[in-house]
Formats: sequence, C-alpha cells, structure tokens
Amino acid sequence: MKSREQEYREIFMAEALEYYDAMSRHISELEKNPADAPALNELFRLMHNLKANARAMGYADIGEVAHRMETIFGLIRDKEKTFSGSMVPVLFTGVDKIGEMIRAVGESRELPSVATLVNNLDLLVKGEEPVLGEEEEVDADEDANRKLELSDLVYIQIKKLDHLLNLVGELIIDRDRILTLSQEIGSPALQTAATHLFRIADELQYSVMDARLVNVGSLFNKFPRVVRDVATAEQKDVELTISGEDIQIDRNILQIITDALLHLVRNAIGHGIETPEDRVKAGKPAQGKLALSAQTERDDVLIQVTDDGKGIDVESVRRKAVERGLVSAEAAGLLDPGAVRAFLFEPGFSMAKEVTEISGRGVGLDVVKLAIDSLGGQLRVESVLGQGTTFTLVLPTSIAVKGALLFELEESSYAIPLMHTDLVVALWPDDLHVVGGMLLAHVFGDNIPVVPLRALLHGSEDGPLPAANKEDITGRQNIIIVNYNNRRLGLIVDRFLRQQDIVIKPMSKPLDMIDLFGGVTLLGNGQVCLVLDVPALTRLFLAKRP
Amino acid sequence: MKNRILIVDDSFYMRTMLKNMLTDAGYEVVGEAANGQQALEMAAATRPDLITLDVILPDNTGLDVLKGIRQDQPDVKVVMCSAVGQEVIVNEALESGASAYIVKPFSEEKVLEIVSSALQEGGSTEA
Repeated sequence: MKSREQEYREIFMAEALEYYDAMSRHISELEKNPADAPALNELFRLMHNLKANARAMGYADIGEVAHRMETIFGLIRDKEKTFSGSMVPVLFTGVDKIGEMIRAVGESRELPSVATLVNNLDLLVKGEEPVLGEEEEVDADEDANRKLELSDLVYIQIKKLDHLLNLVGELIIDRDRILTLSQEIGSPALQTAATHLFRIADELQYSVMDARLVNVGSLFNKFPRVVRDVATAEQKDVELTISGEDIQIDRNILQIITDALLHLVRNAIGHGIETPEDRVKAGKPAQGKLALSAQTERDDVLIQVTDDGKGIDVESVRRKAVERGLVSAEAAGLLDPGAVRAFLFEPGFSMAKEVTEISGRGVGLDVVKLAIDSLGGQLRVESVLGQGTTFTLVLPTSIAVKGALLFELEESSYAIPLMHTDLVVALWPDDLHVVGGMLLAHVFGDNIPVVPLRALLHGSEDGPLPAANKEDITGRQNIIIVNYNNRRLGLIVDRFLRQQDIVIKPMSKPLDMIDLFGGVTLLGNGQVCLVLDVPALTRLFLAKRP
Repeated sequence: MKNRILIVDDSFYMRTMLKNMLTDAGYEVVGEAANGQQALEMAAATRPDLITLDVILPDNTGLDVLKGIRQDQPDVKVVMCSAVGQEVIVNEALESGASAYIVKPFSEEKVLEIVSSALQEGGSTEA
C-alpha cells in the first residue's frame, strides 16, 4: 500500500501548492475589488477542494481552516458579509497559514498551531469581532519587506529534457570536430579556445545527464502493491524486500525497464516461488522471499530480482534447446549451465508450455531481453535448482553517451559499445586452434569461438561462413571479445584505436537494413563511424557458423 | 460486462483516488473530466453507465452539469460527490434526479456501496 499512499501524497502536495498560489492571487484581487465575483468563486472552490483533499489525507488542521475559510468566502459571495474591516487581516492570515501548513507537510515537519486562527474564523462566521493579535497586525514595513518564497524545485516535462540532451549530443560532435580542426590548423589561440570549449561542453553534458536522473525507488516503491496483488492471486505468501532505492538512473531508462521488471516480478511469484505447502514440504519457510535491489557498478546500474523459489532446471532447458533445434545434442552437452540458461531468452523459447511447467519459468523472457538490449544493457540469470533464481539487469546510467572501443577494419573506423566488450587481446597463430571448421581461442580457461569481423560483415547473405583454415592466420591477431547473453565471441579486427565516449545517432534507412549496426557516430575528424550491434552480430554468427 | 463510469471532479487528487478505488473494484473508468464543459462532452462521447459528479466545478456548478446530462441521457446514474457544507446543493441535486451522494472525504467501502446500489436501481427510469 505504501506506493499508492506515496503517490497520493505527491499529488496532494502538488495540487495543494497550486491551490495556495491561486488563493494568494485571488485574495489580493479581492483586496482591490472586495466584490470581485470570479475571485470569490475561485476562493470558495479552492478552499472547498483543499478541505476535501486534506481531510482525505488526514491533515485535519488544514481541513478545519479551509472549511471555515470556504464558509466565509461563501457568505461574502452570497452578499451576507463583506470583505472589509477586521475580516481582511484574518483571511490573509488564513491563506498564509494554509501555505505554512502545506510547506510543513512537504517537509515532514510538525504543522503550526491554528487554534487562534480557527477561533477568529469561528467568530467571523458568527458575525462577531475577531481578536487580532501579532499574526494579523498589519505591519506595513514588514509587509513591504516580506520575502517572496519560491519553491526550490521545478517540475519539468521530460520532453524538454530530451530536447536538451539531443542538443548536447550535437554539441559534443561539433566540439570534437572543432578540437580536431584546431589541431590541424595549428593556431595556438584556436587550440586554447577549443580546449576550453571541450571542457565546458563536457561539463554541460554531465549536468544535463544529471538533471535527468531519478531515484530507482520511484519505480521500486510501486512494487509492494504489485507483489501483494500477484501473491494473492497466485495464492502465494511472499515477503518483498527493497534495497538501493536511492540509486540514480536516467528517467527514460527507468521508463523502458518498467514492464520488464514487472514481468520478472510476476514470473518470480507465479513460477518461481512455490505454494506455502510445497515450500514446507521442501523444508523451506512457508513464506517466500523476493528481493528487489539496485546498486552501482562502475558506470552501470545493476538491478536484481531475486527469489528463493524452486529455481531453473538446467537439464530440462538443455533438453528443450536440443528438441527445438537451437543447438546440437553434442554441443549442448558441452555447454555450461550459464550458457544453457541463456536459451531462456531466445525468442519464443520460453513460450513453450512444457518448459513453463518443467523449468518453472514463465513466458516472455525474450521480451524482457529485447527491452534491455534496446538500451544496450545486459540481462543475466543465475539459479540454483531448489534454492532460487536471480535476474540481473545491467543498465547504463544514461542513454545519451556510451563508452565505446574504437577500432579499424579495412581503413574504416568502427565503434563497439564497452557494455558488450569483455576483453581485448592480441593472439599469435599458436594461440588459435581450428575445431570442426571453427576457430577457437583459449583465453582464461575458456574456449571462445573467433571469427574475422570482415567475414561476418561481408559474407554472402545465406549459407554458413567458410570453414576456418589455420594457414590463413598469419601474424598477430587483434581480437575483441564480446559478450552477449552469456555467449562470448572473438572478433578479429585490423587495429585497435582508442576508448572514447560516443553519441550514438540512429541510422538512415538503407544502412539500417543491414541490421548489424546500432547507429552511427561522428568522430572528431569528421569521419562517420559505424557502431556495431553486438546482439545482432552474435545472432548472425550463431546462424552462420560453420 | 463491466459497468462504465465517468469521473467528474476538478481535483486531480480526488479523481486519482476515485479512479483507483473504482478500477480496483472492477469497474471501467471511461474518462475523467475536470470541469463542466469537459463533463458534458465526455458524457456525450462515452455514454457511461454512471457518473460521479463533483458539486463544485470551476466553470459551472455540478448542478448545471447534472441538468445538462439529464436532458441528453435520462438513464445515466449520477452520484454526486461533495465535501460537507454543500447540503443545500446536494438536496437540490437529488431532486433533479441524482441517484445518491457521497460526502468527501469518503471511505472506499462507502463509495463502492453507493456506486453499486445506484447501478442496481434499474435499467431505466420507467422500470
């Protein structure tokens, strides 16, 4: 329930502050023209709404004051009273006090006392003279010197921030271009100016990115309600724990993963956590545990959904993968559990009903995977049969700028996002072996398939890649090891260039059809640089491997 | 079939709360109007089964809206919503054909009870 209460509180506050501003405006209008009918109607309506909302929220004092003010403005409107004499300072004090109380609610402070004010408002309703004290004293000096208080917070539409970020992206590209030009031209003055521009643009970029950050908690806090509802429907007993609510992430990234997270949580309750009876039989506490957590790791944000349910049966997933022809029986036998669980994210794989029942994992994990891929993030799953499952979402903090590795192939520059880059190695032919027509590199105790990137990019549309021949490999091989969905793949390139933050732009149509590139970026020298889409490359390799 | 409800209230807070209560209880909220003009337009466009109608609205009173809707759709059930202090208007509203009224701040149980009994009043005024 916490989530909804919080939502109500936020809406109440935003609306109450709006009402207060309008009240202040209308009561000033009334001072100029005591019979201003539209102002009276508005004051009446605003007091009425504030009263109802405050009472629903349980802020009785705000309700009491607003109720009496509503009555008095109603009487003035109906010409039974006039806005004049001692009534004026009392009503002004009333509006001020309302503002004070609303701010106190917003800052979780104790609300100021309103006993005197309420008493005076009651006297006014009865037509008696109020008791004016310090609060109502019209001190011209003080009024004249009164400080205007504006909120320290601005609400801004995300659209405006998106626009700002796009502009910054353009600026970064031009900045790099100018910096390169200034070096080419060799004018010291221009170089100094360009270096300064570089620093400022950098700071601007981080400021704009920072302005878009929101707490992960703004999403997490919606889950207690979801968990309660799903657990009730599934007749499970689930305790949710939330941690890392104050970790910050780009608002649009949070938006994009909302459905994915909802899906994972529903799955964990529906298919992961067992019924209380089954849990007791398995020697577990009747109440299942579900944890939502966030943490930062270098520049990334890790979000984890962990349950202590029945876990994923790797052997049944392995069998299914073979049955569905995703992998040969022989190859499947060699795959480690992580690689086997990766099949769960294959499109349509988890849709199979039998799998749902056998493995205890539900539908549509491929959809979750796609959402994470679209952000350039990673989705991982760890599971121990009988003990539970953890899904980890590795997300970039910001969508605008990505760390990338730049390299050269056939005299063109390419970029590959660091998110998908595990390792960069230079290997000699002796480090490479050909097994079944496939080149394998033995790196860190792991046999990783290796393929010349040019074969993937320029290969014929259909048909497998040509079988690898050890004799074609001469001299030092520069290899980028990429990782997607628990699968590693080595890509042979011509030359490593450098690591750089890049702004990725979507591509125009014709190139888009190639589908192996996630976008383009412009380098400082004005050169266009294609950004490789590692998920697409990995899929292409799997489809075409010899 | 789910009963379709239109919410009319000038406070976003109230609309949100009503919408959550009604949606959770299995009703379909077909629209939310924040003033009288919107209320009349949306009532005509969505033809709801029931309307929750705030008594005090920025452009005209809930009473005018009630009369406007009644002319156009004599069968629609209307539940007036009001904070205490507006009993006079509410009485007039009941005389003008509102089914019931809810006093703000309302409890979830009360709202659902009143809405469901208003909907059960019978399909048409002739019934």
